[in-house]
Amino acid sequence: MESITTKTIKRFDWILLLTMLCLLVVGVLAIYSATYNSGSSNLKQNYERQIIWAALGGVLFLTMAFLHFKYYQAFAYVLYGFSIVLLLFVLAIGKMGGGAVRWISIGGLKFQPSEWAKLFTIIALARYLSDHTNQIRSPKVLITAFAIGLLPMALIFEEPDFGTSLVFAAIIPSILFWADVSPLALFLIAAPFLTMIASFNFYSFFADMMLLVGVLYFVKRPLIFSAANVLLNLFVGIMTPFMWNSLHAYQQKRILTFLGLVSDPKGLSYQIIQSKVAIGSGGLWGKGFLHGTQTQLRFLPAQHTDFIFSVIGEEFGFIGAMAVLFLFVLLLYRGFKLSAASKNNFASLVGIGITTMFLYHAVVNIGMATGIMPVTGLPLPFVSYGGSFLLMSMASMGILENISIRKYEY
Amino acid sequence: MITNPNEHRLFSIPKKYIYFGLTAGLFLLLIWRLFYLQIYTTQKYCLQSQKNHIREVTLEPLRGLIYDREGKVLVENTPAYSVYGIPHELSHTPHVLDRLSGILNLSVSEIRKNVKERQHGRFSPVRLKRQVSFKEVSLLEENKLLFPGVGVWVDPKRHYPSSAHAAHVLGYIGEISTGELKKLAEKGYKRGDIIGKRGLEAEYDQDLRGKEGLEYVEVDALGRQIRKLKSEKSIPPVPGKNLILGLDADLQSLAENRLKGKRGSVVLLDARDGSVLALASMPDYDLKEFSGVITNKIWDKYFKNPENPMYNRAVQSSYPPGSTYKPIAAIGGLDSKIITKDFTVTCRGYLRYGRRNYYCWYKKGHGTLDLIHGIENSCNVYFYTLGAKIGVDVWADYSRRFHFGMKTGIDLPSENSGLVPDRQYLDKKFGKDKWSKGLMLNMAIGQGDLLVTPLQMAQLAMILGNDGLGYRPHLVIGIQDPLTLVTNPVKIDSFRVNVDPKNIQIVKEGMRLVVNGPTGTGHRARLPDVLVAGKTGTTQNPHGKDHAWFIGFAPFEHPEVAVAVMIENGGYGGSVAAPIAHDLFQLYFQKHPRQPNVSGEVAMKDKPTVHTP
Repeated sequence: MESITTKTIKRFDWILLLTMLCLLVVGVLAIYSATYNSGSSNLKQNYERQIIWAALGGVLFLTMAFLHFKYYQAFAYVLYGFSIVLLLFVLAIGKMGGGAVRWISIGGLKFQPSEWAKLFTIIALARYLSDHTNQIRSPKVLITAFAIGLLPMALIFEEPDFGTSLVFAAIIPSILFWADVSPLALFLIAAPFLTMIASFNFYSFFADMMLLVGVLYFVKRPLIFSAANVLLNLFVGIMTPFMWNSLHAYQQKRILTFLGLVSDPKGLSYQIIQSKVAIGSGGLWGKGFLHGTQTQLRFLPAQHTDFIFSVIGEEFGFIGAMAVLFLFVLLLYRGFKLSAASKNNFASLVGIGITTMFLYHAVVNIGMATGIMPVTGLPLPFVSYGGSFLLMSMASMGILENISIRKYEY
Repeated sequence: MITNPNEHRLFSIPKKYIYFGLTAGLFLLLIWRLFYLQIYTTQKYCLQSQKNHIREVTLEPLRGLIYDREGKVLVENTPAYSVYGIPHELSHTPHVLDRLSGILNLSVSEIRKNVKERQHGRFSPVRLKRQVSFKEVSLLEENKLLFPGVGVWVDPKRHYPSSAHAAHVLGYIGEISTGELKKLAEKGYKRGDIIGKRGLEAEYDQDLRGKEGLEYVEVDALGRQIRKLKSEKSIPPVPGKNLILGLDADLQSLAENRLKGKRGSVVLLDARDGSVLALASMPDYDLKEFSGVITNKIWDKYFKNPENPMYNRAVQSSYPPGSTYKPIAAIGGLDSKIITKDFTVTCRGYLRYGRRNYYCWYKKGHGTLDLIHGIENSCNVYFYTLGAKIGVDVWADYSRRFHFGMKTGIDLPSENSGLVPDRQYLDKKFGKDKWSKGLMLNMAIGQGDLLVTPLQMAQLAMILGNDGLGYRPHLVIGIQDPLTLVTNPVKIDSFRVNVDPKNIQIVKEGMRLVVNGPTGTGHRARLPDVLVAGKTGTTQNPHGKDHAWFIGFAPFEHPEVAVAVMIENGGYGGSVAAPIAHDLFQLYFQKHPRQPNVSGEVAMKDKPTVHTP
């Protein structure tokens, strides 16, 4: 017993835990500052709520850290099925209510199924791929894996929650790549999506097609195969403008605003401008805690949730922003490293999926706050205010710890 | 079978390095971006963030006050109440609008319209009603909780505590018009500014208005004011300068009272420096009605009134001066050596000239008169004869030497320069040399095309009284700094007319007799203890009763005051205008009694013997 406990303590990734705790502290401080002057007593209590969520998350973290991963490996499909049912439920409420619904309210507590769907999809994918390691390059496995990933993604996109659905677009290829799915297959599957984005501009479309042709030439596959792919991409590129019209107006607007194709000074680009002003005016050292004028005078939209990074940038400056970036890099490095080190295929795949999710969230959230990525409404892990995502994130961290503790188990 | 994904490689690189590399690349992008925002272009964002939350607020300066020469306040500022509302809050509380409508006597739709038209932002207050009564204010203040988003402002407004109105002198203020803005934009005036519209308020606007101050306030994203900022860039407002007038409120008040019910004007000058002691024009307007919003009712009452109460008759109206102008022909004759003071004319009640008779006002005829008595009796036949003798050129020349046909340069806007008809003018009007010499006969007695302002006539009285020395008439004698209370006196411009003083003295002797002689037409201006000299005038007027004129100065020996009284359609100058001059002189000398040792000696002792015609 003692040797197991010692091993556990030794294999427990303390750096990962410490990084998460630091980010939680930064988050609570930033939320406190963001709502300090809000005038609404309800908003002012948000930092307290975040601490309570973090405490609950801590329990989840410890549970997941010490509950052997084989248990949720066993229940992977059940959990996945459960999250799909919840997503369908949310979608049904939304369709009946005639608007966007992302929450389920249980006894006054709001709960966002899409957050948990991310984790459960990762687990389900890992389970499926680890069960089929010897047929990993068979098209059937590939298609099934994609289906597992794309189903929740489609449901979330339909809510509509464009931002969260895009997280799957990062997680799925990342896990598949790690599971040793043919990189060419992944590229050819990703190609139509690349083409979709590239098709808005003739030159980028042309470059995209040249890349495709180049790769196809390099891998020397049968001509029919190559031609089919090129035709598919041509078709997608031409069809995209039509599909574009089926998007919600606000989704189109967000993408267009980001691309600089429309101007809306008080709309979405207002958020981006104010966030950039906040971060830029922070300078090297920042304006000091509770002294950010942009934050305290509430020029920042969603400043305690999606735009929390602009609070940090304004009040703690470049130094503070670098510290947060450093914490994330450390977290991601440890995450990828321990996932890669795990001897268990399932655990390794889950670890890669979770770390990729954090990578995507962190990069897109900070990129959005600094105006280099579209405003897709993604929270910053451990920092942004929000219960569902924090609980899910901390549970995910518990799983990473679990993987770390059991990295030598097959 | 794959046992450990880590053992798989892509192009012989362990796959985990691809994940590390991707992470590193994306974070390098973020670091570069943050460096760009927070280090490289931080200045730009600092400025933007400042602009975001700091608003410049202009602070209105208090407008300068206006005092009379004795320090009595003529114009001051008093607080007036305006009710304002915050559009954002009003839009959420329709029942508040209903309540407000009851208190302010405005319909809900009117309040809505005001909000809509004047709104600058959802959170900047909008004036709903100006000049709210104290009762309305107390109702609002007592029931504050019933009126969320509604408040009361204090705006200064002009107040006129003196019994002297001096409406035409003081003028009123109002919001700058588009036309004024166009002309004055380069002088720093901007939309919404309050500007002097008439009178001294307009003439001295630059001095009175002061300078706006600047203050910096912190606002939030909705434009709500959070706090005032201490900034070295903030400037306190500089209050406008005070004007010290030469006006004497008592004399002004008297002049106004004496004109009440008449149409006409009075100008009383200090003969020793040209400062205006009183300048009244009737009918006038009530400045109090112009101190707030000018309603259509007020506008119609004054601007559509056929009696033209907005018109300053003393300065803006010109009339034929009648007999008060006879001194000009007399001096012209003497100074150009065409006649001497002994030149006599026999008046039989009319003069035959050309093919028509020119009548004297005294149908029985004055008999034989010399110049002095011609003036005393205001004999028309004497001046017809004199006029014919000197001719248009000499007459027009001497008119100009006494500054007729030109502005006096008084510090009031829109002064009329009057008209001196000369050969050129008559040639133009009637054709070259096609005009009858008889015109000159009429002009010599101040009739015909000649036009003068009452102010010019007062100036003439001053010049004559001073033997040819004149001062530019002016209302403001000093400009006071309201902070240091140091007063800068206004420079006095003096001039001497190009006439031999001896000739003026001869005419003056006649004017002394006008008031003091046994047959003098202006005897009603006579004072028991101060020697007054003057000249009456009764101007024929094709449109109605004669205009009554009187000009004069006193004391005769060392004049202190000079006056011109003009009553439109008043009748005889001697019986209508002279008594007003009398009252003004009387009050003046009551307030400034003759000191026996200083000037008393000249008052009675040297009283010339009265000539009998």
